[in-house]
Amino acid sequence: MSETTREPDARRLATEARDRVRFEEDALALSDQVYRVARHLVGSREEAEDLMQETYARAFRSWRSFTPGTNLRAWLLRILTNLNIDRGRRLQRQPDQQPLEEGDYFLYNKLEETSDGPTDEDRVVQRLSQNDVVSALSEVPHDFRDVVVLVDIGDFTYADAAQILDIPVGTVMSRLHRGRRILKQAMAESTVGS
Amino acid sequence: MCNCDECEQWMQPYMDRVLTDAERAEAETHLNECAYCRKRYRFEEHVRRFVRQAVIEPMPVELKQKLADLRTPLL
Repeated sequence: MSETTREPDARRLATEARDRVRFEEDALALSDQVYRVARHLVGSREEAEDLMQETYARAFRSWRSFTPGTNLRAWLLRILTNLNIDRGRRLQRQPDQQPLEEGDYFLYNKLEETSDGPTDEDRVVQRLSQNDVVSALSEVPHDFRDVVVLVDIGDFTYADAAQILDIPVGTVMSRLHRGRRILKQAMAESTVGS
Repeated sequence: MCNCDECEQWMQPYMDRVLTDAERAEAETHLNECAYCRKRYRFEEHVRRFVRQAVIEPMPVELKQKLADLRTPLL
């Protein structure tokens, strides 16, 4: 009698241990990709590192709430953005100061008008520097930057980004559209001056 | 009829492949005829690639170890 009740129990525990180990390995295998996004959702490397550790600590604690077969990378980033919001980052937002963005051709036009000699799109893009792009991205207001970082750097779909940020897909699209323009405007300013 | 202003508006949805077939065809007709817009669309492709590459910062090795240390110890 006791044999028959203990055995399924032992099997259940073994299965759970195996599932947990697998979950932890899968989550760790994605850490480079999660960090790539996390690094630009927050202002500094130190913050990103703290946030990564908090995220993984929470993920390992609550691994049972992850549904196998769904997008683990998106699940991890959902935890990360929630923790980031809990830290009060949102309070720093200044909605009145959202920049008015220029059109989508602005960056090209700006680079072209300030360059010597013949221009083609290959040569124009060479005027951009890596540092300028990184600092321009950090200047994009959070709400817009989150979406640009998730979609354009993290390769998330609109639907994943909507779920991670808990906003409607339509909002993802409009913020992405504006965020990219704001980014290009910031790149124009850092490359050729305003 | 697609003009340059409209073509500029369509640039992002075009590259994200979210235009309708009709809109897409209209944008492509304009792009075939208009070197001004064509140049700017090609530039946008370069910029997107460049941004993606430029902002990659490898994860510090120590952080990777710290994350691994957070794993549940095996009994």
